[in-house]
Amino acid sequence: MITRSWVFLALCLCACGKQPDAAPSTAFKVALITPGSVTDAAWNAGAYQGLQQVKDSLGAAVSHIEAHTPAEQEEALRSYARQGYTVVFGHGYEFQQPAERVSQDYPKTIFVITSGKRVSGNVVPLVFRIHEATYLAGMLAGALTHSGKIGFVGGMELPPIKLGYDGWVRGARAVRPDVETRITYLNTFDDAAAGKEAALAMIRLGVDQLHHNADAAALGVFSAAKESANVLVYGANGDQSALAPDRVVASAVVDLPRAFLLVTRDVKHGTFTPHTESFGLQSGVIRLAVNPALQARWPAGLKERVQAASDSIAAGTLKVAAQAVP
Amino acid sequence: MSIAAPMRAGARDLAHVAGAFGLGVVLLSAFLAIAGFHVAPALSALWNGAFGSWDNFTSAALVRATPLVILGLAFTLGSKAGTLNIGMEGQFAAGAIGTTWAGLHLGGVPPVLAVAVALAGGLIAGAAWVALPVILRMKLGVSEVITTLLLNFVGVAAVSYAVTGPLQEPSRIYPQSALIAPAARLPHLAAGSRLHLGFIFAIIIAGLLSLLLKQTAWGFRIRSVGAGPRAALIIGRMPVATIAATALLWSGALAGFGGAVEVTGVSYALYQNLSPGYGFTAIAVALLGRLQPTFVLVAGVLFGALEAGAAAMQRDAGIPAVAVQVVEAVVIITVLLTARRRA
Repeated sequence: MITRSWVFLALCLCACGKQPDAAPSTAFKVALITPGSVTDAAWNAGAYQGLQQVKDSLGAAVSHIEAHTPAEQEEALRSYARQGYTVVFGHGYEFQQPAERVSQDYPKTIFVITSGKRVSGNVVPLVFRIHEATYLAGMLAGALTHSGKIGFVGGMELPPIKLGYDGWVRGARAVRPDVETRITYLNTFDDAAAGKEAALAMIRLGVDQLHHNADAAALGVFSAAKESANVLVYGANGDQSALAPDRVVASAVVDLPRAFLLVTRDVKHGTFTPHTESFGLQSGVIRLAVNPALQARWPAGLKERVQAASDSIAAGTLKVAAQAVP
Repeated sequence: MSIAAPMRAGARDLAHVAGAFGLGVVLLSAFLAIAGFHVAPALSALWNGAFGSWDNFTSAALVRATPLVILGLAFTLGSKAGTLNIGMEGQFAAGAIGTTWAGLHLGGVPPVLAVAVALAGGLIAGAAWVALPVILRMKLGVSEVITTLLLNFVGVAAVSYAVTGPLQEPSRIYPQSALIAPAARLPHLAAGSRLHLGFIFAIIIAGLLSLLLKQTAWGFRIRSVGAGPRAALIIGRMPVATIAATALLWSGALAGFGGAVEVTGVSYALYQNLSPGYGFTAIAVALLGRLQPTFVLVAGVLFGALEAGAAAMQRDAGIPAVAVQVVEAVVIITVLLTARRRA
């Protein structure tokens, strides 16, 4: 019995030893690795749309995979690099360290890490200053709240999410200095029930303006708002007005497709040099998408105020983050 | 009795497993066809992702198989003594924490010693994590099924606490630990490959466990206690409770070792999402391996290959992740169903 299974294992090992690796092709190939499901209507969905646009506009051969654990993520980075992909998007800060390791063996592949930390060889970060848009969303919340209480549901305590919360609070205080703010981190981006639970708890405490950055888990936040009277929601990462058309005031949008296109176009045309690519309101990649259906509720003068703040942020005269962001 | 009979039984077992995988593939093809995907490229990606090249097999399939084999063996050891350790996910997490803590303090230590200490950290943490269920079982007769299961949730929460508290990386921004000392990392078995020494450990543990259970008095006692505790107590005059407790303790230690190997061999740091549910999949691996250490090794490799192939289906054939998960479930259920029928 023992002998048989050892022989079987040995056969497995030998059988695979024979075939050579496929030769890397020279075509323009772009890959995307997401840490979660692309059906989240936000962070990962935007990246997937970006990949499709790269395929359609630049004629690239594309591939996508979900990789949830550090082991799967490194495996995915390495597989794509070995198959000769030109650009590999690692969609989240967690890809930075494994990409740096893999990059040492595959220096020709460009690894683009969304919300990455630093440039290291061909590993380059994309930085999204989402707080510039959440500041504007916060201004709307500060103006529209009746109870004077606003809430934020975050997936995990990550730098871009904390910055987004920071902008949201500063924006609200700019309009209503005495506003009370609450925040909950779910420690998950997938659990919509947990998102709903957190949102309902805040609503019970009197919160009537809800913002989030929790991807698929935030679908529960929208569901909670729809069930409660007089609660308004603000979307994140994508234009989420469609999720609750009579409840969503606006969304802080990260136009991931546009960012992905800008970077891959540079690579395709050979004009790419490794650097930190940082997007704010100025670039148009970050913007506030207003739901026109609810604009009638805005108090007089609010639209002009938000527009003025938006212009000042884009011009660099209004700082909305506590620390400097590259 | 001649030696030929068990050999034939072994061959038949392997044939059954192969048949089950075959049936799984047929069901899977039907599913893919109904869902509107091209079957041939998907199956080809499934095969190539696992066995298509030496690198795919070693860097993807065997790396994924390593924790499954070690945890499958941990479950096997517990089961042989009649205990059900379904808390391996928690023990794996505890082992990962223990190893990371040790690994962060091992700068300047010679490599062999550093690796040994880091791995020991995981082993001890795993044993410590299962110690409470062991004590509750011995002293109060509380079922380890409940206690080990519930401690899974505590283990996962402990990792979340560790990476946002005491073990968080120095800049205190990201929910992960710093990288463990290079000396404490397991070497790769070949340059450019992800396959690390941990897989050799898994093979050695399988061999050792097989020998221990079959050739030693300790193994005989464990099997006796598992097969018939009353007979072992009355006829064999064995300290049944102690023997079962020892096996459960070692089962937890082994599961902790699995976490240690994942940190020192693959991730080099502690993360919240280190395990995609190894502690539960490994139960399927152990059952598929009919609780025979060498078969568990083979079953673990097959599961690793399946997961690697499933990833390749998504990557190279464009099958969505959700469909890939269905595929995995189909194969696992088919295999377990057929395993059940012949048992």
